[in-house]
Amino acid sequence: MEGTPFERRALHDINLDIADGTFLALIGHTGSGKSTLIQHLNGLLKPSAGSIKMGSTELKAGGKKQDLKSLRKKAGIVFQYPEHQLFEETVEKDIMFGPRNFGMSEESAKLTAAKVIEMVGLPESVLTKSPFDLSGGQMRRVAIAGVLAMNPEVLILDEPTAGLDPAGRVEIMELFYSLHERNNLTTILVTHSMEDASRYADEIAVMHKGELYLHGKPTDIFNEREALKKAGLDVPETVQFLQKWNEKSGLHLALTKFTVEELAKQVSQSLKKRGN
Amino acid sequence: MLQNVIIGQYYPASSPLHRMDSRSKLIAAFFYLFIVFLANNWVTYGVLIAFTVVTISLSKVPFRFLYKGLKPILLLVVFTMLLHIFLTKEGDLLYKAGFLEIYEGGVIQGIFIALRLLLLVMMTSLLTLTTTPIDITDGLEHLLGPLKKWKLPVHEFALMMSISLRFIPTLLQETEKIMKAQMARGADFTSGPIKERAKAFVPLLVPLFVSSFKRAEELALAMEARGYRGGEGRTRLRALAWHQRDTFALLLLALLTLSLFLLRN
Repeated sequence: MEGTPFERRALHDINLDIADGTFLALIGHTGSGKSTLIQHLNGLLKPSAGSIKMGSTELKAGGKKQDLKSLRKKAGIVFQYPEHQLFEETVEKDIMFGPRNFGMSEESAKLTAAKVIEMVGLPESVLTKSPFDLSGGQMRRVAIAGVLAMNPEVLILDEPTAGLDPAGRVEIMELFYSLHERNNLTTILVTHSMEDASRYADEIAVMHKGELYLHGKPTDIFNEREALKKAGLDVPETVQFLQKWNEKSGLHLALTKFTVEELAKQVSQSLKKRGN
Repeated sequence: MLQNVIIGQYYPASSPLHRMDSRSKLIAAFFYLFIVFLANNWVTYGVLIAFTVVTISLSKVPFRFLYKGLKPILLLVVFTMLLHIFLTKEGDLLYKAGFLEIYEGGVIQGIFIALRLLLLVMMTSLLTLTTTPIDITDGLEHLLGPLKKWKLPVHEFALMMSISLRFIPTLLQETEKIMKAQMARGADFTSGPIKERAKAFVPLLVPLFVSSFKRAEELALAMEARGYRGGEGRTRLRALAWHQRDTFALLLLALLTLSLFLLRN
């Protein structure tokens, strides 16, 4: 997507290729244009310049009325606080809303609902309940199920763990990651959390002031600590630790692992080696 | 999608009218509603028009802003004018075609009525254009204060008004957000037959209702947690201040009233 310098431009000069099957983390400070960018991906917002291509569908600036429905079916968005979008009398009906809009028959939509409710880790008995009787965390899962039911090829997640407790965060993120792996999805995760990005993403794109600021593999991005700081971000805690560790111990551990568990293993192994 | 919705028509500027106390403006606007009806001939309407035009130019509000406020009632004005022109049968007969008869009295009457409506709407929109909604509610609360003697919950009414004004933008934002979320799930709000389109709004309205009630509950809790207990003994951040110019404005209005009394038939 390319923008021209309009007075109130939200996004500008963005060239981003996302290959099929990539897990991309989109990171940026509040107001950096992450949400605006993802809303372009399924035509909720239309570009004033440039174009967006997804599969065979292309959205052009000033283009005629495109087939937005097929685009929206392809790209499912889980918005921030998705539980706010629930409206039906029963969980089942709410999950069926998306599939029915995209022309699925009632029976297969019901089957899909039963399938996705299990995927998000809720018992099938929830289907007959009113979504408003559920707890906040359960409502979030139902809303996510509603998006998964559309069977999207591209899953766009706008801070899906905002407002959840730490255990809930991990569960939801693990859910998305296993879906991504199992169904060979292309996943775009909008997040503030460098930790989440480092744990799951194949690629990281950093947004700053409406522009694509950095884009690359996590290792490359985390080596640009100064640049990240300029964008109001920092490297994950594990990377911070590793850098300090290298400084103080005189060892030079390579920056390859980002999770706490893996890093701990790496450090203890190197210590053992030195001990020998 | 909803960016085009204009909420509140306050026009920020620095003019004598903007600086006036909201109470004096409210009193003046209210009073004006009555004295407009005193005018009943060309001279008195002339005086009223002159007064209104001077007030508008003092307010520094561009005319196109006023026109925007007038647009919705313009049709009503034209309609009433036509009704009067065709139905009033006074004075000399000016024109006759079949059953259509236009009398001089009807034309004059029609023009007067149209003028009256326009003057009324212009003056009242000037009030909201030059006064922030918060100032208006504060002023109303003050002016209605005496009604507390009869156990009327004046403070609560004013509070309700300012809370609803405060949450209009929030509600609009929320609407847009949920609309997008449902559109991402394939909902279509813009095409299809009327019946289908009305149905399409259920997925939008239900979440809006739910979140509004939730928000109201949260707000009530937050207010209680901070010890809110009604208007009794409550002080204000922005106290209303009555200046000389307010007295002067009301005196001018009194003068206008007097001249209307003297000049009318």
